[in-house]
Amino acid sequence: MGEPGRSADHQWSQEHLSHYVEGELRPRARRRLDRHARDCADCGRGLRAMRDLLHALRGLDALAGTAAPATIFDRVRLAGPGGAASSQNA
Amino acid sequence: MPPPAGPHVPGPAGTEASLIARAQDGDVSAFERLSGAYAGRLFMLLLRLLGDRSEAEDVAQEVMLRAWQAITGFRGQSSYFTWLYRIALNEANRALEKRARRPAGVPIGADELQLPASAAHEPTRQAEISELRQALGQALAQLPPALRTAIVLRDVEGFSTQEAAEIAGVSQAAFKSRLHQARLRVRAAIGDEVLVTTGG
Repeated sequence: MGEPGRSADHQWSQEHLSHYVEGELRPRARRRLDRHARDCADCGRGLRAMRDLLHALRGLDALAGTAAPATIFDRVRLAGPGGAASSQNA
Repeated sequence: MPPPAGPHVPGPAGTEASLIARAQDGDVSAFERLSGAYAGRLFMLLLRLLGDRSEAEDVAQEVMLRAWQAITGFRGQSSYFTWLYRIALNEANRALEKRARRPAGVPIGADELQLPASAAHEPTRQAEISELRQALGQALAQLPPALRTAIVLRDVEGFSTQEAAEIAGVSQAAFKSRLHQARLRVRAAIGDEVLVTTGG
């Protein structure tokens, strides 16, 4: 399914950028992607884009300071002490 | 920044175990203290998965009720935190399935997932970051639930692959496959130009 002029290395590299940044590639596979990305502007940029994507996603974690709603235990309180024992199949 | 997986309950060692035991004996306040330590993080997970605050609030209440109803069956085979998160994921997926059966409405996610850009950035940079976050929110909202769950747990919440797979209830191999697919789709949706210009 590769485009004309695109090598098998290119297709493979594009599919493994996430594995690369995750550190999942074995040394030989990592060298293969490194070699290809040095000569391929698309894959070099793809690698930077994948790293920047992870950085941006991690930035969303700043939302973690948001507090849970005060109502979060309302249904538990309504169920009361009997609630835990009454519905074992939940 | 990341990721506090595992138990976060403050206090001396053994506190969580004693709170679990008391909750299993029907002590509501012990349950609230036990689960309350994770409530903020759990709510953020729901908000990210559902992309709608009022729905996330409703599901968060349901998660706590389900956990309360099932607490006597908790055997400590995973951490309490993982157990609670798994209930949250199940409830979020249930809500998403219900939503899928409803007529299509406003696309979810983008507004709720946005963050104000840091004041430390220049206005142009702030606008770029804000746009990128909006694009991220939209791209995440377009993912199938299983892929969205994978990328949120691993890349946003910062869980290790092992923890995230455990919470998602799938093997690590299956989880990685979902994660890579999710990243490829989000990258394609946003575009390398935008990511490289704005990210980093």
